[in-house]
Amino acid sequence: MKPAPFRYEAARSLSGALELLAGDQDARALAGGQSLVPMLNFRLAWPELIVDLNPLAELAHLDASGGDLRIGALTRQATLQRSDVVAAGWPLLIQAVAHVGHAAIRTRGTVGGSVAHADPAAELPVALTALDARFHLRSRDGARSLSAGELFQGALTTALEPGELLVEIEVPASPPAARTAFLEHARTHGDFAVAGVAVILAPGEHAAIALLGADAVPVRAAAAEQALLNGAGPGEAARLAAAGIADDYRRALLTTLSERALDQVMA
Amino acid sequence: MTRSELIGAPLPRREDARVLRGETRYVDDVVVPGMAHAAFVRSPHAHAGITSISVPQDAEGLIAVVTAADIGAAVRAFPVMEPDDMEVNHAEAHPVLAAGEVRYAGQPVAAVIARTRALAEDAAELVDVQYDERPAVLAPRESGVVLTRWSGGAGDVDAAFAAAAHVVSGSYALPRLIAAPMETRGCVAAYEPVDDCLTVWCSAQDIHRPLAQLSHILDRPPAGIRLIVPDVGGAFGSKGVIAPEIAAVAASAMRLGIPVKWTEDRLENLVGGTQGRGIEGDLQLALAADGRMLGLRARLWADLGGYLLTTTPIPPHTAATLITGVYDIAAAAVTVVGALTHKVPTGPYRGAGRPDAAYMVEALVDEAARRTGIHRVELRRRNLIRSFPHRTATGLEYDSGDYERCLDLALELAADGGRARDRDGGDGDVVRGRGIALYVERAGGGWESAEIELGPGGTFAIASSSSPHGQGHDITFAQIAADRLGVPIQDIELHFGDSATSPPGVGTFGSRSVAMAGSAVAIAADDLLAQARARTGAAIVDWQRLAEVAGPDRPRAAARFQSANVFSSGAYVATVRIDCGTGELTVERLIAVDDAGTLINPLLVHGQVIGGAVQALGECLTEEAVYDDGGQPRTGSFLDYSLLTAAEVPPIVTGEVQTPSPFNPLGAKGAGEGGAVGTLPAVANAVTDALGGRRVEPPFTSDKLWRALHDDPRGDGR
Repeated sequence: MKPAPFRYEAARSLSGALELLAGDQDARALAGGQSLVPMLNFRLAWPELIVDLNPLAELAHLDASGGDLRIGALTRQATLQRSDVVAAGWPLLIQAVAHVGHAAIRTRGTVGGSVAHADPAAELPVALTALDARFHLRSRDGARSLSAGELFQGALTTALEPGELLVEIEVPASPPAARTAFLEHARTHGDFAVAGVAVILAPGEHAAIALLGADAVPVRAAAAEQALLNGAGPGEAARLAAAGIADDYRRALLTTLSERALDQVMA
Repeated sequence: MTRSELIGAPLPRREDARVLRGETRYVDDVVVPGMAHAAFVRSPHAHAGITSISVPQDAEGLIAVVTAADIGAAVRAFPVMEPDDMEVNHAEAHPVLAAGEVRYAGQPVAAVIARTRALAEDAAELVDVQYDERPAVLAPRESGVVLTRWSGGAGDVDAAFAAAAHVVSGSYALPRLIAAPMETRGCVAAYEPVDDCLTVWCSAQDIHRPLAQLSHILDRPPAGIRLIVPDVGGAFGSKGVIAPEIAAVAASAMRLGIPVKWTEDRLENLVGGTQGRGIEGDLQLALAADGRMLGLRARLWADLGGYLLTTTPIPPHTAATLITGVYDIAAAAVTVVGALTHKVPTGPYRGAGRPDAAYMVEALVDEAARRTGIHRVELRRRNLIRSFPHRTATGLEYDSGDYERCLDLALELAADGGRARDRDGGDGDVVRGRGIALYVERAGGGWESAEIELGPGGTFAIASSSSPHGQGHDITFAQIAADRLGVPIQDIELHFGDSATSPPGVGTFGSRSVAMAGSAVAIAADDLLAQARARTGAAIVDWQRLAEVAGPDRPRAAARFQSANVFSSGAYVATVRIDCGTGELTVERLIAVDDAGTLINPLLVHGQVIGGAVQALGECLTEEAVYDDGGQPRTGSFLDYSLLTAAEVPPIVTGEVQTPSPFNPLGAKGAGEGGAVGTLPAVANAVTDALGGRRVEPPFTSDKLWRALHDDPRGDGR
């Protein structure tokens, strides 16, 4: 479990990092390293070049001064978890990040790394999907912004092109009346989730349900959201949310978790 | 502390501070000048012929690529143990490196020796092995190739079944498990031509077995090998046989004339380390109308893997011989077949056949209780062995025990007579169950030795043949010696783990160290005291004065202690809850009552019980070595092989019964495995109870339990 040989460059600026990434098709960006380093050690990833983003303080911001929450991609999961600003305005992120690994993993792991890695069992992409987050990408040659639906393409697959870097995640504010819950089922504490659900509900005003484990990417349960806005109860909405899942156990699991999450926000 | 206070004193281990401060020296900390590093080319296939091996001529830091063709003449296949009356197919012993054929994914094919481990891994990528893939057999019942076989029994089994009012049967299966010690395996091997001595530092449970195995494999007299076991970070049975890689490294070090280190990484350990359990069985029990057990039939199949390693035959033999459990069953017919499968070999893992037997017989007894309508506690009471020594139908001789006292204490601690399952726990969508299980386990046996000597300052040095890997031999043996000699415990110093200085013995396994090596310490200390009394003419010896007067002629003593097996036992009660919406199992409470004979150090015994119980909870909740249909291991990292965290561990209440063994001067039995033996059947029976009699096999994962619950008509109140 030693990585295959690779070149290592510590980024000195965002533009420098983008330049390095643009210069090598086989370059990989290193953020917290909680997934990439094991993949290197297993020799599942064989990059030519590692561009270490960790020196880039400019990517580690957490700022809600403009009303929306702007999360620098290099913001540590532990920083997110401890943020009073996030707790006050975006409690769903706090509820979700508590399920990410263990404290040591969250201390190194970054929000952007979790999103860009796009593990189907990861919690933060699901919470950000429920929150209608926008994902800001940069490359040497330009910038673009994607929705969760556009970004997450499949298991460990995103719309990020070679040379492109996730730099910031922008999370709109939820209505003041919104309540949120994140529930998951995992084999053990801190393990990746088998299934999970993120819900946001401001009755009659806003409803969002995102599912973990329904597909290889986070899934919004649009029919259930509409039903909630039309006054459906937790049981009915939960059944609608999981209705399309073929596997009977997984469907039952997501129905149960959705109903319990909705019970919490409607209690 | 007076003599009577030392035996039974809960003293902490003297090495704790050193371990916690990181001042330990594991085998990976051993550095020999000029040392090279090994990595291995491993089979990617479960079963294949090797058609060619092409070795890189040059690579950065590469010293050599060693294959079976290079060392074939210098090494033999592994020696294989032969338990009593077991047929063992020695022709299928594990080779050091694969020659012509591979029989499991991960089997070592070539050792790549380079300046660093990273460079060795890089060079290993350049070794090109061509394979001719062959079909893989994964199920032991479908194997057709028998590696081991044991049959035993006594009494007229057919007559017992003919006379039975009830016959209950059950089929049971335990998956393979991975021992997952924090410290993986590894060695440093250095050959010194001047004195023709091969020195091997090895992460192992003891020195004697690795030395004997290397002596056989390298065809080298034991005196030509020095085996040193430094600090060891856990073994759980998996380090009682050397890894084939260690033999390959030793042979390579001799061939190349340079010291070589191999430190197994986690991936290697998960796919290439011996696995535990992997056994299934069909059992039938004949009962009289009053619930008396008349006869037992058992046919077991063990999934032994592609080859036999030294210790591979042991667990199925232990499982088969213990299959009648704590019950007085006069007639039994038991067969266990160890079959070749295309997976890594199995071997002992904490319990090593004991949990397998307890799981099967205790589930069968619960089934009998459901079928006969006799309460499960009452049914057990009616059939317990009550007089000792007791010879079982399978040929074991139980030395002593008080099974009913264990059961009574467990029920008292559970504050309940064994109440039936509870469908409505008051908090909605859950079912609860309670399980009771009794166990008896083989411990001790064989022999160990000790040497004790009065040092110049009036203190004592003891060399034990046994060696520790976490158990706490040092404080325990010091308690024994200080007690026998009537001296302060700090005056006793223990030495372990170096074949150059340790007395002969067998090793640390099978819950045997106190009963065997501890008894040798006691007898050696008694001898020393008798010598000192004879010399001084005083009943109370002034040791310091004696040391001064005696000079170099200070007294010393040695003892070898041998005995038959002793049998520990216990009673466990588990309470579980299953979430009907998710299938999630929560073990709410575990009562663990163990009888390990006379306890020398109850603090360490408590630790052993908790540790064993937690490993068994992992077996119940999550652990399973999984192979796909082609025989590829799918549990190659801790992402996939799920170990428990502290969050999953329930409150564990322990209780003890101390029935001294008549077979040793301490009255000791064994405590290292009881927690791992009793917990599994108790939790399994609790799960079956919660499921209303429906059985599933461990691990009791959420999906299995949810499916079991939802196929269930659940007519009672839901």
